[in-house]
Amino acid sequence: MTELEPNAAGNDDAEIKRVQSYVPGLDTILCGGFLSGGVYLIQGLAGAGKTVLASQIIYSHAAQGERALFVTVLGENHGRMMAHLRPMRFFDESLVPDRVTYISAYQALDEDEGGLKGLTALLRGEVQARGPMLLVLDGLSAVEARAGSRFEMKRFTHELQALALATDCTMFVLNSPSGAASMPEHTLVDGVIELQQRIYALRSERRLLVHKTRGSRYLEGEHPFRITDAGITVFPRIEAQFTFLTAPGSAPRRRVSSGIASLDGLLQGGLPAATMVSLVGPAGAGKTTLGLQFLSESSAGEPGLLFGCYESPDRLRLKAESMGLDLAAAEQRGGIELLWYPVGEHILDELAYRLLEAVRRRGVKRLVIDGVSGFQQAALELERMVRFWSVLSSELRVLGVTTLHTLELPELMGAEIRAPLGGVSALAEVLILLRYVELQSRLFRLISVFKVRDGAFDPTIREFAITDAGIVVGKPFEGVEAVLSGMAREAAKVAARGAAADSGADPSVEHRGPAG
Amino acid sequence: MNELVLIVEDEFAIADLLEMALTDGGYRVVTAANGRQGLEHLAQGPIPDLLISDFMMPVLDGPGLLRAMRETEAQRDIPCIIMSSIPEASVRARIEGYAGFLRKPFRISDMVQLVASVLAASEGG
Repeated sequence: MTELEPNAAGNDDAEIKRVQSYVPGLDTILCGGFLSGGVYLIQGLAGAGKTVLASQIIYSHAAQGERALFVTVLGENHGRMMAHLRPMRFFDESLVPDRVTYISAYQALDEDEGGLKGLTALLRGEVQARGPMLLVLDGLSAVEARAGSRFEMKRFTHELQALALATDCTMFVLNSPSGAASMPEHTLVDGVIELQQRIYALRSERRLLVHKTRGSRYLEGEHPFRITDAGITVFPRIEAQFTFLTAPGSAPRRRVSSGIASLDGLLQGGLPAATMVSLVGPAGAGKTTLGLQFLSESSAGEPGLLFGCYESPDRLRLKAESMGLDLAAAEQRGGIELLWYPVGEHILDELAYRLLEAVRRRGVKRLVIDGVSGFQQAALELERMVRFWSVLSSELRVLGVTTLHTLELPELMGAEIRAPLGGVSALAEVLILLRYVELQSRLFRLISVFKVRDGAFDPTIREFAITDAGIVVGKPFEGVEAVLSGMAREAAKVAARGAAADSGADPSVEHRGPAG
Repeated sequence: MNELVLIVEDEFAIADLLEMALTDGGYRVVTAANGRQGLEHLAQGPIPDLLISDFMMPVLDGPGLLRAMRETEAQRDIPCIIMSSIPEASVRARIEGYAGFLRKPFRISDMVQLVASVLAASEGG
């Protein structure tokens, strides 16, 4: 993942020397990294990823020629710890022992050896002798258990801080949470990072939470992360990352073709550039097909991207081929990229970063997101969706991307049209509705433009067909009523039946317009 | 008289397990938490028949301990087994003249077997 620049306004800590974490996403959350010579508490239950996080930081620095010391107090034995790290790509055995040294301080902590004073003395001696840039102290709970009083623990933390500052050695203290947020080490250390594993029904998601970083801003709240062979990758929560836009947005002044000339006519010149277009319709109505035509207007100078969760690239190529569009050739020329993230246990923010990374990498200007429900299924907190989508949309606008996203209506037909994922379609500047309608025992496909924010459009409802040349939008669907209900009636008959109803002859005739 | 083994290891859990296994195997065992403590044991005596040392330790590491031993006449010929999480090639580049090596993590039975064979070779030599 590309490290994104923190975008909070200003950077008034630029003069403080920072230590990069080399953990993708973490420096964004820390607004630049750790403060050199600081002491940071990394806490989490067993298996939360504390050792991996600390190891990733020290091995990454060791690979740059720095020295690091890993001190265990209880914890895992060193051989097994290294065996567990071996599959991780950051782990490099050749860095041990010259760049990364493991020692145990358990016996120094023994009461006969001086307890916390013994541990402090050992740490002081080792740091002075080896001159590490980074130190990890694993097993703070054992130190707490040995401390005779809160005062003794407080003094130990003070001495650790003094040592870190005096030697410019950045320290990470690993701990399993005791639940006492007011423990001396919490108030005295420079930062507290918590690693959690949250359970949601059958799923779980790892989360990183910064409780404090002294002398530095940070992105507040929980941020999801993954542990893979590449180590830890954190995905700063989109809403926190892009609270402030990375650049000022501008009002859409240009129009771009939808890829369908007759639809451009309805839109009175095409889609407003750098806007979000919501394409709403039931399954099979032609949303993806329309998206592919929009994408077919891409070129090397105006690159396109389809970010899909449902249809595989091969199926999309086949679908495009049936309309005479050669997606594969466009991909080879670099005009189009197809990215497929089949619905699974994705992290919502990871999908957003993959999307933004792909957009930035190629300077994408035409984007199809097919469909939004793939993101919804990744969301563990559904109440996030509208805020998440709002921030993602804003960032895409700033990047000058015209985005067409598909939203599936749950019902193939029916009198009620409920905007799916309430609120998401409301964020779009343009709303286009695709419907099936039944009339005289025949199904028709209809298209209508519902909204073009601050712009004129043709509001007539049109029939359209999917042909071997793509979508062809026809004339207005005239002479019928209640079209959007899915059960159209010929207008003349409705008028006659209405008159009869007024006279009490036939009260069963309904006349419903679009809902929502 | 049973042979005396000095274990120099900062990881308490490993030192403890080795001490138990070797004691069960009929050896007399003393332990030290780092190289400096190991040298203190050697200086106080009695001289052990075998030394098992970790490689990475606080205060004085395995290479430092063995270098110091080589400089003392009475300790120079004590056979040594090195145990470490790093590959033997890295150890060999830093220590010369050890009698046996085991990479961590290892099975305790493998260490007991190695102790027996190193002692047998030492007595035979």
